[in-house]
Amino acid sequence: MTDVAHTTEVAAVDSPATVKPKARVKATKAMIDRYKWYEVVALYAGIALFLFFVLAPFIEGFLVSLKPLSQLFSTPYSFIPKTWSFDSYVNMWTSVPMLGMHIFNSFFISTLVTLIVVMVVVPAAYAFARFSFAGAGLLLGGFLAVNMFSGAVLLIPLFRLMRSLGLLNTYWAMIVPGAAFLIPSSIWLLRTYMMRIPRELDEAAWVDGASRLYTLRRVILPLAMPGIVVVAIMTFIGAYAQQFIFALTFNSKTEFMPLPIGLFAFFGKQEVIWNELMAASFVGILPVMIVIVILQRYLVAGLTAGAIKQ
Amino acid sequence: MSQLSLKQLEKSFNEARIIKGIDLDVSEGEFVVFVGPSGCGKSTLLRMIAGLEEVSGGQIEISGQVVNDLPPVKRGIAMVFQSYALYPHMSVYENIAFPLRVEKLPQAEVDARVGAAAKVLQLESRLQHRPGQLSGGQRQRVAIGRAIVRQPKIFLFDEPLSNLDAALRSEMRIELMELHKRLGSTMIYVTHDQIEAMTMADKIVVLNAGEISQVGGPLELYHKPDNLFVAGFIGSPKMNFISGKVRKADGATATIDLGSLGTIALPRTSTAVAGQDVTLGIRPEHLSLGEGEFGLETTPNIVEQLGIHTITYSTLSGGENFIGLFEGNPALAEGQPVRMSFPLDKVHLFDAKGLAVY
Repeated sequence: MTDVAHTTEVAAVDSPATVKPKARVKATKAMIDRYKWYEVVALYAGIALFLFFVLAPFIEGFLVSLKPLSQLFSTPYSFIPKTWSFDSYVNMWTSVPMLGMHIFNSFFISTLVTLIVVMVVVPAAYAFARFSFAGAGLLLGGFLAVNMFSGAVLLIPLFRLMRSLGLLNTYWAMIVPGAAFLIPSSIWLLRTYMMRIPRELDEAAWVDGASRLYTLRRVILPLAMPGIVVVAIMTFIGAYAQQFIFALTFNSKTEFMPLPIGLFAFFGKQEVIWNELMAASFVGILPVMIVIVILQRYLVAGLTAGAIKQ
Repeated sequence: MSQLSLKQLEKSFNEARIIKGIDLDVSEGEFVVFVGPSGCGKSTLLRMIAGLEEVSGGQIEISGQVVNDLPPVKRGIAMVFQSYALYPHMSVYENIAFPLRVEKLPQAEVDARVGAAAKVLQLESRLQHRPGQLSGGQRQRVAIGRAIVRQPKIFLFDEPLSNLDAALRSEMRIELMELHKRLGSTMIYVTHDQIEAMTMADKIVVLNAGEISQVGGPLELYHKPDNLFVAGFIGSPKMNFISGKVRKADGATATIDLGSLGTIALPRTSTAVAGQDVTLGIRPEHLSLGEGEFGLETTPNIVEQLGIHTITYSTLSGGENFIGLFEGNPALAEGQPVRMSFPLDKVHLFDAKGLAVY
């Protein structure tokens, strides 16, 4: 008790801005978390600067989507719209009738890729984390090596492969390479996570008569859930981002095209409908945002509930 | 009939031989403690009995059946791990019920068995909690509960108390002994703590470098250690060792030259030790102050006053550490020479190979 009172006094002496130390919440913070007022200001200024750099394109994009097309090419250019409306968000559906389909395709492809990756990666990561088998190190090294090639380098061989498998111009043409390129890094990620789960838990389950698969299902999976959610989020985002190049090369059917290709429809012969293009992009990102928000809740819940404590 | 028997059991990891041919019989209902310094192979031995480690050579028999290639659950054993190995995402109830769920027992049976185990371990009010919300002692009890519900023939404990603080440890020690009495099952217990071994065991197996040094009851090991290792390992503070050379051994007495401490004549029937370098062992608690059958003078460097007794640490002229333990609070001071003595029948004698000489 006296210790606490003592530290409060020290804090009061330290910061001249604190007139009534006992009334301030700051005094209840741990010593290591205490900052002077100007340090706090500097921290937030730094964060704001960083966020502005990251978010500036998005802000600009959003503002463009609100402006009428004529204002986009006016000089001097005004960053803040003079007149603004949500018209683009309405008109885009009629200027590109397939837009809804494209958004659905993007979402559908990414979801399927994520499901395939998670289904393959979970048992694979468990195997790499727990069993020592011949070639395990070689395989892991190979996975890392695969990650060094971007999909673009392998497009031509992949094209030939897709053609002989008869997958060109189907959803699979975008799903299969998408999943294939995302699996290796996910195995690495989840393997590391699973290695942190004490081996004694597997042994205890084994002593109690559980099979390896039962242990995986009842013990390892619940404990690895936060790791699996991270893999799912990364895969979903990765699949969303990389589908452009696979769709462009392996698919020519408009009805299977994901959003990034679908957006080309806003490029007319005479002009580009920039404001609707931006509006469509934002609406296209929405499903991803929703998925991430939902998964993130599980992520936090998993982190607090499954804390591995010895 | 013995319930568990090990025959020439061996274990090697690559080139390293960890367990070097162990023979041991354990009868039903016995409380057996494997004790030894770290790295002596006691945990490996336990894990081999459990079925977690493969056997490199020899046999493990449980109730007359060779179980070398059987999985743990078919051996009829249950194991309690050092870190408890509780499932953090499951309630205490589900943790205890885990083996029963694996067996796919009906819910009513699970309820009954978990309830019974919880009652024995006083965990009834904790069944819906997560392991993370429990204290160390309670977690330990949950781990024991998970072992009890299976109703195994043999319980295996791998240093179960080493993660608890001292007060809780002695409490859990008593609980475990009561549990053993109540269940009457065979228990094998691994520890590096000789106090746990002495207090709990019916039979202690002292292991050293992958071999059994001695097997026996706690008092047998204390009073009649077979060799230097057991003599030094059992007992706290450690037994004092003084090196000497046998001048004469005529079948009735052995006369030993202790250098600057003089000569001592011990009643020993062995004549084989004549002329050998030997080691004399005397426990600190068998020393008394003043004159006796054999006396020596030392100067304590450190004096520890524990109230119930006083411990002195000194160095003999030969360089050996010499510990004395005396009842009460005698007037001893650091740096002040003091005369100690011991009775001859309390002296242990070990030959050049470290084996006891009688």
